[in-house]
Amino acid sequence: MAGLFESKKRRLEDAMSEELKKQLDTELSANEDELFVLADYDASTAEKTGYSNYSYWGSTVRVFLKNRMAVLMLTVLALLLLFTFIQPMLPNQYGPNAITTNPATGIQLSNQAPRMTTVYHTLPAGVELFGEAIDGEWYSVSNVMMEIKARKNFLLTEYGEDWCRIEYDGKTGYVKNNFQTKLKLPEDPTAVPYECKSNFQLSVYTTPTDYSNDGEVFYTTLDSIEVIDGQNGLVVTKEGAQLRNIPSDKAFIFGTNNIGQDLWARVWSGTRTSLWIGFVVAFFEALIGIMVGILWGYVRQLDRLITEIYNVIDNIPNTIILILISYIMRPSISTLIFAMSLTRWLGMARFIRNQIVIIRDRDYNLASRCLGTSTTRIMIKNLLPYLVSVIMLRMALAIPNAIGSEVFITYIGLGLSVDTPSLGNLINEGRKLVTSASLRYQLIFPTVVLSIITIAFYIIGNSFADAADPKNHR
Amino acid sequence: MLKYSLKRLASSVLTLCIIIVVVFVLLRQMPIEGYFDNYEKLDEFQIQVKLTQLGLNDPVLVQLKNFFVKLLHGDLGTSSRYSAGTPIATIIANKAPVSIYMGVWSMAISLIMGIPLGAAMARSKSGFWDKFGTAFIVFINAVPSAVYYIFIQTYGTEALGISMLFERENWVTWILPVFSLSLGSTASYAMWLRRYMVDEMNKDYVRLARAKGVSNKKIMMKHVFRNAFVPMIQYIPASLLYTICGSIYVESLYSVPGMGGLLVDVISRQDNPMVQALVVIYSGIGIVGLLLGDILMGVIDPRISFVKKEGAR
Repeated sequence: MAGLFESKKRRLEDAMSEELKKQLDTELSANEDELFVLADYDASTAEKTGYSNYSYWGSTVRVFLKNRMAVLMLTVLALLLLFTFIQPMLPNQYGPNAITTNPATGIQLSNQAPRMTTVYHTLPAGVELFGEAIDGEWYSVSNVMMEIKARKNFLLTEYGEDWCRIEYDGKTGYVKNNFQTKLKLPEDPTAVPYECKSNFQLSVYTTPTDYSNDGEVFYTTLDSIEVIDGQNGLVVTKEGAQLRNIPSDKAFIFGTNNIGQDLWARVWSGTRTSLWIGFVVAFFEALIGIMVGILWGYVRQLDRLITEIYNVIDNIPNTIILILISYIMRPSISTLIFAMSLTRWLGMARFIRNQIVIIRDRDYNLASRCLGTSTTRIMIKNLLPYLVSVIMLRMALAIPNAIGSEVFITYIGLGLSVDTPSLGNLINEGRKLVTSASLRYQLIFPTVVLSIITIAFYIIGNSFADAADPKNHR
Repeated sequence: MLKYSLKRLASSVLTLCIIIVVVFVLLRQMPIEGYFDNYEKLDEFQIQVKLTQLGLNDPVLVQLKNFFVKLLHGDLGTSSRYSAGTPIATIIANKAPVSIYMGVWSMAISLIMGIPLGAAMARSKSGFWDKFGTAFIVFINAVPSAVYYIFIQTYGTEALGISMLFERENWVTWILPVFSLSLGSTASYAMWLRRYMVDEMNKDYVRLARAKGVSNKKIMMKHVFRNAFVPMIQYIPASLLYTICGSIYVESLYSVPGMGGLLVDVISRQDNPMVQALVVIYSGIGIVGLLLGDILMGVIDPRISFVKKEGAR
């Protein structure tokens, strides 16, 4: 690579000296009088030097788009952000603090493993099932109508290889005929009817098909079934009846936590909270940092004062300030934002101050001042554009940083309460359950979302800063 | 150099005083429950007596003066809730050794891992090590440490088949906390060393050395690395001191009986005098770290002069 570059450079130098020599030759060979002719003003030639097709923002965008990783991250992040704000508007979402209960029992649906609502069976019309109303809308259904205790006699009225129809307690139903039920059958089992029994407890089914998959109860709505026997009794399916695994057509995509709150809703709500904190902190960092930095660099009388203040604050570990402020103030979003903003602006202000000290006395600024441009205008028009890349970088990094600080503060016990879901308290709640492997999903989902956000902001911020640096523009 | 050091020391002391004043005044705003271990059982009179006894009914300036006088005698006050009546200095003296051991170990490990990684990254620009190191640095910098510490603890303890909590006598339980602590500094050493080395590699003296036919290895070791390491020395004392006072998070995660976990404990118990003392200690350690860094820098690299100093550091 280096060798290639070197040889290219050499060739370029050769070509240039050729060019110069030629120019010199023509000049020397020219008539002396012609060399000293007054050049007329030529508008088009003047335009030629004044025009460049370089545009700062155009080049920045072009360089940024060349970085495929950054573009990928930008896409992911944009989709994620979009989704966080769309999510509450989607149909069938739980509230982040709503506690879901099993309508059948009234018990909280706590620590439900992540699962989608799934239609396990779609039945044709006319299938008889045993149903139980659990609330106005939902029915729990199974095709088990009753249990027969072990060693009870019942009348077998029809024999089949897999299923036998029986009569017991005045009801007609079907029992499975397999190695598990171990029906005590006579020598010719087809000679029905006869008394029969089993050594084990038997389930009696309404139909000779096991929809409920060994006793698991399914859930369905009145749209799918017709009630025949009042509140608890026989129901008949309508055409296309759907049996679901949870008494809801809503899903627990990320499962539920220990008091039955939907983790899916909480994660997105928490993402919104954390991003809000991040964005506001980034905004304040930029606002305070730029203002202080420009004053610090541009107004000489303030230099000493601000430098001293900077030294004092910068000497204290940031974490300690964060902890101290959160300890003294009541835990809330504004406390967190205040505590983080208190230290974040320092780095930004110092960088801007240093840049301004370098730039402020360059010729074009002197010229500007001589022409009577106001200080405000010089700051905004002449100085600020130089600082865009670093301002953007620091703002982009402020967001993952703020999210991380929030996680930390919550861990210490000074963060937001659990009524305000944030990525910090979700992770903290999940962390407490980490010892049991089956509940680890409660930690993993928030951490995955958090990691995607922070890594994306970090990569985008860095590549944007590279792209915004004019040195990288070709 | 001496003049500079003295000046720097004076300003550090001044800064520390300002910090103590601010912390002191802020903590006076806290509810007074934090000074009692049995607040609910006391009546108004007893509370007032105790407050007077503690000197909390005096004007703030008098309290401040008393605090400074005590501080100069090495007395940080007594704990009110965490371990009622015990002098804070004693509590900290018991807790500090674990944090110091842990800090020194993690520092050593992060230097051992970070510096070769940074050097390898600079050497194989856009090769395997560079990509690996960049991914590592991005991960460590972007993902909050709180998150990967939890995963290291969860899966690490499972893999090693040990309990999640720290035991002082069992050396296996030292591995994970020390490793967790060292990751952050490893990434930052690697990142800065790579950056400084790449800067150095583009300088003219390296080109000259190469033109003279000095081997690549020699250039790297004798010229580039040495020069690149100088600006990093500044950060070593500060980061050593920070790790010694214990990563607050790691220590409380593993229940290490050190100073970092202590801060979390006293905050959750709202022990005001201890929070105050610990905040002062941490700030003091931070200031000393920066001061040592600056002085060390001047001692090691004679080219650096501090005659005209701007900003901090």
